[in-house]
Amino acid sequence: MTAPAIEFSPERTAPFLQEVMERSGQMLTACYQCRRCAAGCSVGDETGCFTPNLLIRTVVLGDRETALNNPLVWKCVSCYTCGTRCPNDIQTARITETLKKMAKEAHVEPLLPKVKEFHDSFVESGLRWGRVNEMEFMGVYETKGALREARVKNYNAIVEEIREQAKLGLAMFKRKRMHAGFLMAKGRGEIKALYKKAKQMTTIDQ
Amino acid sequence: MEIGYYPGCSLKQSSALYDLQSRRIFSELGVDLREIEDWNCCGATSAGKVNDFLAVGMPARNIGIAEAAGFDEVVIPCSACYSRTLVAQKRLEDNPALRTEVNRGLSRKVEGRVRISSILEVLISRIDNGAMKNKNLKKFRGLHPVCYYGCMQTRFPYTVPVPDNVENPQGMETVLAAVGVQAIDWNCKTWCCGASASVNDAETAHSLMARIMKEALARGANCFVVTCPMCQLNLDAHQDAFCEKHGIGERLPVFFITEVLGAALGISPEDLHADRHFTDGMKLLKELEQDEQK
Repeated sequence: MTAPAIEFSPERTAPFLQEVMERSGQMLTACYQCRRCAAGCSVGDETGCFTPNLLIRTVVLGDRETALNNPLVWKCVSCYTCGTRCPNDIQTARITETLKKMAKEAHVEPLLPKVKEFHDSFVESGLRWGRVNEMEFMGVYETKGALREARVKNYNAIVEEIREQAKLGLAMFKRKRMHAGFLMAKGRGEIKALYKKAKQMTTIDQ
Repeated sequence: MEIGYYPGCSLKQSSALYDLQSRRIFSELGVDLREIEDWNCCGATSAGKVNDFLAVGMPARNIGIAEAAGFDEVVIPCSACYSRTLVAQKRLEDNPALRTEVNRGLSRKVEGRVRISSILEVLISRIDNGAMKNKNLKKFRGLHPVCYYGCMQTRFPYTVPVPDNVENPQGMETVLAAVGVQAIDWNCKTWCCGASASVNDAETAHSLMARIMKEALARGANCFVVTCPMCQLNLDAHQDAFCEKHGIGERLPVFFITEVLGAALGISPEDLHADRHFTDGMKLLKELEQDEQK
C-alpha cells in the first residue's frame, strides 16, 4: 500500500476553513478549480505558479502554515482580476487580504516583510492625522524596514534602500510632486474611535 | 451645476496637478466642484489588509459628511478613493447591522442616498448634456493615446454596479472622442501597474509595468492617458527604471485625462502644470499645438 498523497482530516481542517470564509466573506468551498483566476492573475509569473486556485485548495485542505506564508499572499497586488472572472464569485484577493491579517495575528514573519510594513505604515498615518501625509508615511515605512534590517545587521540593505528612495524623492521634489504642507482632518477622533471598536471585533459580517 | 468633490490625499500632494486640472476642466464644462469639508483618508487598498471594519469606516465618514452637506453627487477622481468609497457605501447598504455600528461612531450619519461617481461618469454626463458644444476645440491629429484604466476603475472587491465594461472599458475613449481624439485599441487597458508594489516589491511592479509599456509601444501609441493617480505616478516616475531593466528604449508621457481635455480646450500646457511629469510630456503637447496652427 502506498501512503496517501495528502493527509486530510475534516475535524482539523474545518475551523481554519470556516474562519477564512467568514472573515473574507468568500465561499471557498464553491471553487471547482477551473483556474480562470490562475490564467488572469497579474502576479502569476512572480509567484512561482502559486496561483489563486492553489491558495483556495491549500485553505480547504487545512494547510494553515502554507496558507499564511506563500508568495501569493504577499505578492498579491489586489487587482481583483481573479474575483472578477471567477464563475463562482470567489474574490481571492479578499482571501489574501484576510490571510495577511491572520498571519499578523499569528505572529508569522511575512515572506515579504516590506509589504506588511507598507500597509501598516499607511493605515497608521491615515489614523494619526486623518489624512495620509506621503512624506511622513514613507518615513515611518522606511524606519520600520531599517530597524528590521538593523536587527540582522544587514546594513548594506539599509544604505541601498535609502539611496533608492532618496533618488525618487529628489526626482519628485524637482517636479514639484512633493508637498511641503501638512494634511489633517479635524474630525480624526471619530476614525480613531472606530478603529478602537474595530480592534475588539476581528470579523465583520459581509 | 454644483457637485461634491472628494480629492483624497494623493490629489493634495504628489498628484496636486490632477486636482488643479480637475477643477479647471470641470469649471470649463459648467460644473462647480465643492470640496467636502474635513474629509479623511479613504484607507485605500491598505485598510482592507489591516482591518476590515476600518476599510468601511474610513470612507463612511466622508459619505456622511457629503450627505449632511446636502450633495446629491460626489465625484472622486482618484480610482482607489472612488473604489473604496463605492464599496463602503454598498456594504453599508447591504448590511444594516454594520451601518448601525459604523453610524454610532459618526457625528454625520450615513444614509446612503448620495451618488458616488468616478471622474469619467461625470465627464460623460456633461458631454452628453452638450457641454462640449460651441467649444473651440483644438484638433490633435498627432495624438495617439492608449487609455489605461488600471484596476480600481472597473474591478471591485465587492459586488457594486460598475458603470463601464469590466474587461474592455470605453469611458476614456468616449471622453477623448468628444474632443476629436481617437484612442488606440489595445490589450492592457485594465492590467495592473503593481500599485504599492512599486515601493514594497519593485521587482514585481517593474515587470508588470514593462508588459504594459511594451504593448502600448507595439500598438504605436505616443502617450498613455489615465484617471488613476497611482497608475500615473507609477508609470511616470518609475518609467526609466522599469524600461532600463526590461530593455525598452522608448519613453512615453503619462497624461491625466484632464490634461488632454484641457489642452484640447485650449488651455496652455503650463497652466495645466503639464511640466510636473517625470517623463516629459511638454514636448508632445507643444508639437501638437504647433501642428494645429499649420
